[in-house]
Amino acid sequence: MRELALVGVIALAFGLGSYHATRELTAFAVLNLAAGTLAFAAAAGLALRRLRFAAGSHSRRVLLRGLLGVAGALALALALERAAAWSGLRGDLTFERSFELAPATRKALAELPGELTATLYHDRFDPRARNTRLLLASLAEAGRVKVRERQLSDSPEALDRFGIAGSNTVVLELGSRFETVDRPLEATLYEALYRLRSRSNGVIGVLRGEGEGDVSSEAELGFSGLAAALATEGYQVRSLVTASLAEIPADVDAVLLLGPRRALLPESVAMLEGYLERGGRLLALLEPGAQSGIEALLDGWGIQAPDGVIVDPASGASGDGALGIDPIAYNYESHPLSRGLNPDRMTFFAGARPLVLHNAGPADSVRRVVLASPHSWVTQDLSVLSRRRGALMPDGAAQDYHTIAAAGRYPRAAGDARIVVIGDSDFASNRYLRSLYNLDLAMNAVHWVVERESEITLRPKLRTPKQFPLPIQNTLRTFHGVGLLVPELLLLGGGLVWLRRRQA
Amino acid sequence: MTALRALVRKELASLFGAPTAYLALSMVALVTALIFFDHLRLYNQILFVYDSATMGGFASDTVPDYVNLWDSVFFPVMETLGLTLIGVVPLVTMRVFAEERARGTDELLFTTRLTPGQIVLAKFAAAYLFVTLMMAVSFLYPATAIEQGGLGLEHLAAVFLGLTLHGIGLASIGLLCSAFTSSQLVAAVSAWAVAFLLWDLSWASGFVGDRIAALLEALSIQPRYSSFAGGVVSLANVIYFAGIALVSLAAARFSFDLRRVSG
Repeated sequence: MRELALVGVIALAFGLGSYHATRELTAFAVLNLAAGTLAFAAAAGLALRRLRFAAGSHSRRVLLRGLLGVAGALALALALERAAAWSGLRGDLTFERSFELAPATRKALAELPGELTATLYHDRFDPRARNTRLLLASLAEAGRVKVRERQLSDSPEALDRFGIAGSNTVVLELGSRFETVDRPLEATLYEALYRLRSRSNGVIGVLRGEGEGDVSSEAELGFSGLAAALATEGYQVRSLVTASLAEIPADVDAVLLLGPRRALLPESVAMLEGYLERGGRLLALLEPGAQSGIEALLDGWGIQAPDGVIVDPASGASGDGALGIDPIAYNYESHPLSRGLNPDRMTFFAGARPLVLHNAGPADSVRRVVLASPHSWVTQDLSVLSRRRGALMPDGAAQDYHTIAAAGRYPRAAGDARIVVIGDSDFASNRYLRSLYNLDLAMNAVHWVVERESEITLRPKLRTPKQFPLPIQNTLRTFHGVGLLVPELLLLGGGLVWLRRRQA
Repeated sequence: MTALRALVRKELASLFGAPTAYLALSMVALVTALIFFDHLRLYNQILFVYDSATMGGFASDTVPDYVNLWDSVFFPVMETLGLTLIGVVPLVTMRVFAEERARGTDELLFTTRLTPGQIVLAKFAAAYLFVTLMMAVSFLYPATAIEQGGLGLEHLAAVFLGLTLHGIGLASIGLLCSAFTSSQLVAAVSAWAVAFLLWDLSWASGFVGDRIAALLEALSIQPRYSSFAGGVVSLANVIYFAGIALVSLAAARFSFDLRRVSG
């Protein structure tokens, strides 16, 4: 019996060892696993037979009690593990909090119409699969997600069907629809989830033709990133060339004005005025130093945009050394648009224009949303933007919570008009959109103006793991001091114990 | 309780009275240090290659995401350490029950006031303390080096917890195997086989349906351990290792009954 058990154990060990080394079930591994299992089964059968003949009724009771104890322990362990798995209690202790899902991802998962299947396709030894596996486990714990893994070499048909280009690719399937994510991070998976939901939130008209920002431009200060984010979240982006329009089309849910650098035609301003009077929605991103004529229109709606630049020394120096002219905002008034933003979730502005609010009408509600720090002040010296040097606080300048973004709601006979004004357009440019919580502010502003408050959320961030070198020279001392000295001392201790035992 | 404490103390003294324990501690610490240092050297070389290719100094945006201290250095080292422990821990636990049984000194234990359950518990406790020490010793150098890189102590704590639980799980399997035999060799070899079998059951996934494959994965040690190494502490994973300990304890206790019956 023991001989059989020993043969079984050795055969199983070699079979599994072969599999772990090659990650393949070779003939050697299969033969060993089969032989080991058979030998074990035979040994167990012999042992049971021996017990059956040897044991009397008292012994059987003792054995039964013991077996029940083992079964009880097993059942308890299984029940506790399942309960813990069901509770989903877990903590992400990574430096970047890489596996803590953003509210937007959780929301997207919760709103899925059916069960989602997430399949990870990878090569056997691809190290990136480890993190993707953990990320998919996070998705599975947060929603109705079935996670599977497939080896690339075993799935040639999937490569064609899903257009898989390489290892560490995730395919999300919802019914007959699928999305292929070749760089599986939470942010990219979230975008794929949103596309799978195929929700249509409306049409955003982007004003063009009078020096506004370009939503098709992929340049650093272009807005293609914003357009892509809008499309991801279910908006159809349509260019509106103001000079060719008599009025804003009726099917446009909101108008987006991106940092106009030139003066708008008076007809265009009048067209916007008429649109707002009919209960239209406007998101205007302004730039300091640019007079577009929209300022007078906004003034009539309770939002003044005086020429000037907010200088916020609390934000410190920006990349090129200018002190405070690129405010980092961490003060938010309570407003649906700023839901989820708090002093730990900051937004970055590359030169911001101050806004001053006043009551436009008795039923109107104009509110501040994003504020610079109480140490901020305003200068009319716009040359600080081009000089990129620290500005001097003018005599009599007031340090206060200067408004960077404001939102207004205006009940009108034709419907509620909504306006959001932000004193900077660069914050939503390709260069800065993914900085801090800028994307959330921009997208949540859009959702608010089109009355899709339920879509207001915080999106996953692109986290870059630390990639700095850890020079060998710096760690050599640690290697000698801890890495080698400790084993050496232990070996010395073992040697002395051995000598003492020999002498004894 | 005093008798139980005395037995734990006796077990620890017995462990540290033999050179094997020091040898095992030293080997695990040394192997971990060498593997870690080697991975660190390789990581720096990879960064150097990217640095040279760009010719513009170190630029993090040219390096793939997965080339970072955690994924390129710490994680693989911890995976290797996890496998190394399968080889080493059974060597430490093989003698705990088997030696006493071979020498017949286990009969003496039954003459004390301790119940078989308490005897098993004391031996398990002593082995767990030793394994925890082994983990601490092997973890010291990688943790110190990584901490110097400023990568956060929380992740290190998660990895250490995972290592310790993995070690305790392996010790439990080793002790269980030792409890059923009087041969230290059989105890060690069977512990290796069981631990290897449990380490990764995904090899059988190709032959079974999705449900069974998921069950096999849930039974495997490797994905649970990897989760800790990745910085995620899940209650289910903690209970999984505690469950291995609990079942092993009960089964080791059962071995005493079996012995009484089979003689």
